[in-house]
Amino acid sequence: MMSDLNNGISRRSVLKGAAVGGIGLAAGGSLLAGCGDKATGPLAYGARSVDAGPTAQNEALIAAYTAKTKNEVKYNATESNAFQNNLSQYLQGTPDDTFEWMAGYRMQFFAEQGLLADLTGVWDAIGDQYTESYKIASTGLDGKQYFVPKSWYPWGLHFRKSMFADLGLNADNVTNWDEYLKMLDGMKKKGLVGFAAGDKGGWEAMGTFDILNARINGYQFHVDLLAGREKWTDAKVTEVFTYWSQLIPYMNPNVLDLEWDGAMQLLLQKKAGSMLMGSWFGGNFKEQSEADYADLSIIPFPEINPEHGRDTIDAPIDGWCVAANGTNNDGGADFLKFAGDMEGVNATLAAKDANGALIPMTSANSGQDTASYDPFQKEQLAVMAEAKYITQFLDRDTRPDFAGPVVGPAIQSWFKNPKDVAKIQDTLQSQWEALPPLA
Amino acid sequence: MSSTAKDITTVSRRRAFSKTDRTTLSAFVGVPLFFHLLLVWVPALLTILLSFTYWSGISISRIKWAGLANYKNIFFDTPAFWEAVKNNIIWLGWFGLIATPIGILLAYQIDRQIRGHKFYETAYYLPVVLSLAVTGIIWNFLLRPDGFVNGLFGRDIDNAISFFGNYDINIYVILTIASWRHIGYIMLLYLAGLKSVDLSLREASALDGATEWQTFKKVVFPSMKPVNIIVIVITIIESLRAFDIVYIIYGSSAGFPILGTLVFQNIAGEGASMKGAAYAVILFVLSIGPIIAYLRATFKSDVQ
Amino acid sequence: MSIDVELQQAAVKYKNKQKVKDRFISALIGVFAIIWIFPIAWTIWTSLRPYKDVRANGVFSMPKTLNLDNYTQAISRMDLPLYFWNTAAITIPAVFLTLFFGSLIAFVVSRYSFRWNVSLLLLFTAGNLLPAQLVFIPVFKMYVTLGKAIGIPRVLYDSHWGVVLIHVAFQMGFATFVLSSYMKTVPKEISESAMVDGASVFVHYSKVMLPLLRPALASLGVLMTTWIYNDFFWALVLMSTDSKRPITSALGRLQGEFVTDYNLLAAGATIAALPTLIVFFLLRKQFVSGLTLGSTKG
Repeated sequence: MMSDLNNGISRRSVLKGAAVGGIGLAAGGSLLAGCGDKATGPLAYGARSVDAGPTAQNEALIAAYTAKTKNEVKYNATESNAFQNNLSQYLQGTPDDTFEWMAGYRMQFFAEQGLLADLTGVWDAIGDQYTESYKIASTGLDGKQYFVPKSWYPWGLHFRKSMFADLGLNADNVTNWDEYLKMLDGMKKKGLVGFAAGDKGGWEAMGTFDILNARINGYQFHVDLLAGREKWTDAKVTEVFTYWSQLIPYMNPNVLDLEWDGAMQLLLQKKAGSMLMGSWFGGNFKEQSEADYADLSIIPFPEINPEHGRDTIDAPIDGWCVAANGTNNDGGADFLKFAGDMEGVNATLAAKDANGALIPMTSANSGQDTASYDPFQKEQLAVMAEAKYITQFLDRDTRPDFAGPVVGPAIQSWFKNPKDVAKIQDTLQSQWEALPPLA
Repeated sequence: MSSTAKDITTVSRRRAFSKTDRTTLSAFVGVPLFFHLLLVWVPALLTILLSFTYWSGISISRIKWAGLANYKNIFFDTPAFWEAVKNNIIWLGWFGLIATPIGILLAYQIDRQIRGHKFYETAYYLPVVLSLAVTGIIWNFLLRPDGFVNGLFGRDIDNAISFFGNYDINIYVILTIASWRHIGYIMLLYLAGLKSVDLSLREASALDGATEWQTFKKVVFPSMKPVNIIVIVITIIESLRAFDIVYIIYGSSAGFPILGTLVFQNIAGEGASMKGAAYAVILFVLSIGPIIAYLRATFKSDVQ
Repeated sequence: MSIDVELQQAAVKYKNKQKVKDRFISALIGVFAIIWIFPIAWTIWTSLRPYKDVRANGVFSMPKTLNLDNYTQAISRMDLPLYFWNTAAITIPAVFLTLFFGSLIAFVVSRYSFRWNVSLLLLFTAGNLLPAQLVFIPVFKMYVTLGKAIGIPRVLYDSHWGVVLIHVAFQMGFATFVLSSYMKTVPKEISESAMVDGASVFVHYSKVMLPLLRPALASLGVLMTTWIYNDFFWALVLMSTDSKRPITSALGRLQGEFVTDYNLLAAGATIAALPTLIVFFLLRKQFVSGLTLGSTKG
């Protein structure tokens, strides 16, 4: 039978510790009790990105850890897609001791299969630096923790302040659907792509589905739909596609030819006016130039149904796990005690990119002083703070053999034939029902 | 005395093999056979068995019998499967009716040693020598939204011709890239086979006043029967097995489904299930026919 | 007499017509040959232009400079020597073992008559044609289980040897088939006299047959090297440490890492393709004869 998915996280205010006021542990971080008392030996670190920014951050973090504990850390980075495709084999075979992963069912699934090490000890040591909701997000289906959060980012509407200024637009005036469409109209008349979209990878557009579903039908319906308690053939889902198709005239024509970075390029080159995306790409803008990064801005996706307002947001959490089949579980846990503590967070925050500038990161740790956030990060915080409910993203919140193989292609085929909504809904529902029991 | 195979047979049957000889022979056959069976045939059988189970590929203790459920799921509940079959059929049609014939005709012309044939032989075969990873990168440069071809048409990233994303044309784009490689391969195979065609036959046909085309059609082609069969079989198998090019361009996303990527998508990654094994078995079953035809054609004389 | 002259004239006219046709055909094939190598030429061209130049002036601009900067950068930033070392560590043992094992079976099957000779050949050849995905899951599980059982997790999974073995297992069939066809052309007298002289099977193989196989082994070796070098699937799925992967599997990673720097990527791809290209140009004869042996008999 379907295991009960612990989808989504409901919390009143996610960043109670870190939002307005910057309470909690300020500079310094907690003392790590007993850290460094026993040498835990060399360990291996598995990174799931080969990009310059994250690599610099990891190097800074590892350098700080090695300096403190004299434990050797071997760094093993794999390109993101290859890492994800290989994860199951990796965890069974020769995993690194600690590796980067994501919260949500994606993590709980592997924990349930016995491939992740229990990190309750780590949480005992540093748990007080995180809000309750992060702990919930790091908990497996059996109630134990298997994940240490690192950073988060919101999915929201991104735009360039300079373009808005040129177009005479005010971001405060884009709070609901009608206003948004009017804005897109204006952009289209000026020859711009209003809503940059790329779905070649099959997952990018899930963000749009998530937000539209949450806006139109509310958080509870969204969560229930992904857990199989609601049907994909429901008229509510049809409404999502109806609203989505209103965006099509304002999209770039080659949606299925661009991946997320292609859509980002449209924004970067000032060819597109807005883009719904996770804010991680801020680092890429910054690598381009400080001016580009300073020009970047984010607002919550507009309200559609006043009943739900803008109460839900996708805000995936990235972090680390320890692999049960690694050779040095203790070493991995020891590393995470450091990485999750303010000491590790500060070391990461001190990392510099190729231009010598600091790399922006929104840490999950309550100790990061949000007053030190740059303007873009403060905006991300504001977007998050406004939301009552947080979800992780479709492919992290539902069964992996449904998200990637079924929902991804279904959305892509909708882009090919937007009129085929009924057929697509039927397919989604029948394939959900045909899913084999989890084994 | 003139020896024949039969003489050797009788000779070797008459004298018993010494103990060392027997050990040597057993080792000579046994060791390779062991590896081949262990890493090819045993896993193949296991995968066939696994296709009848529910399993995420992780804990062996969790394997559950599923009977035909995976297959039912594929045939009745997975529209992507039928899309993939359609794509593979188009692939087969393209290779069989366009790419392979071009390869054959190219081989014939080059064999006739028309002007520049040495250069042509190299040029057309070059793509075959490249790794598919390199091929993917090369064609990406040409066909990206900000690549060469779009630039030629004066288009940029926002209004580019969507070579890989436009599902009306992308299959032909992929097939062109695949043919870029396939044609050279077939050409060389056929060239090799043409060397064995009796030159005098061709000269006789020319003297009889036949055009080159008639010579090819009526004299050369029929005499190449074994090579023809091999070329046909390779065409079919390559169309069914196609995977690398599509994986390089689309990653593991199911945007452009063919049987090969469906297998990969369902056995790699977090969504792994034995549906992937079932896909692999279907692929295998479809290949059995051509494989047997190949074996028959190649080993006919041995079996007699 | 006049009929002969007429015939001669007809023959000449026919030859001329054919010559015109031939020139047309040659031209057509020639044009397409240029188009054929254009993608490769464009990539090399891209690799010779500095990224800054292209970014400033566009892809079609006349180059201000052409240099090998991208190549030096590629070698240093892409860790290419490491990946090439991995490629060698996989390809050389794999080719050697494949040729070796193939020659053993081919030897037994073609010089001795046993009832199961043909069945063996059928088995190996069919095995060569199986789709790789059909065997992946059990092979992976075998590798990991063996590693756990003997306490060395990296004995086969995430190890060069694991990839070597799977290549050998798959390619053995082709090698066996080609070498046995070739061996059939070796006169029986040689083997006959060796056996009459009392040579053991081992001596028969090593001192009598093996030296005669050299040309076939060379051709086959060239083919196998190219195929195994170009594979990227097995190293992708049977290895978890990226720094152990061969150059072809690493290209995927490099494409992700340097996604916008096309010129650097072009240089990397060209370097990755160089070994096979060099082998092809220098050893073309062996290449072609290797395929000859494989596609026709005798």
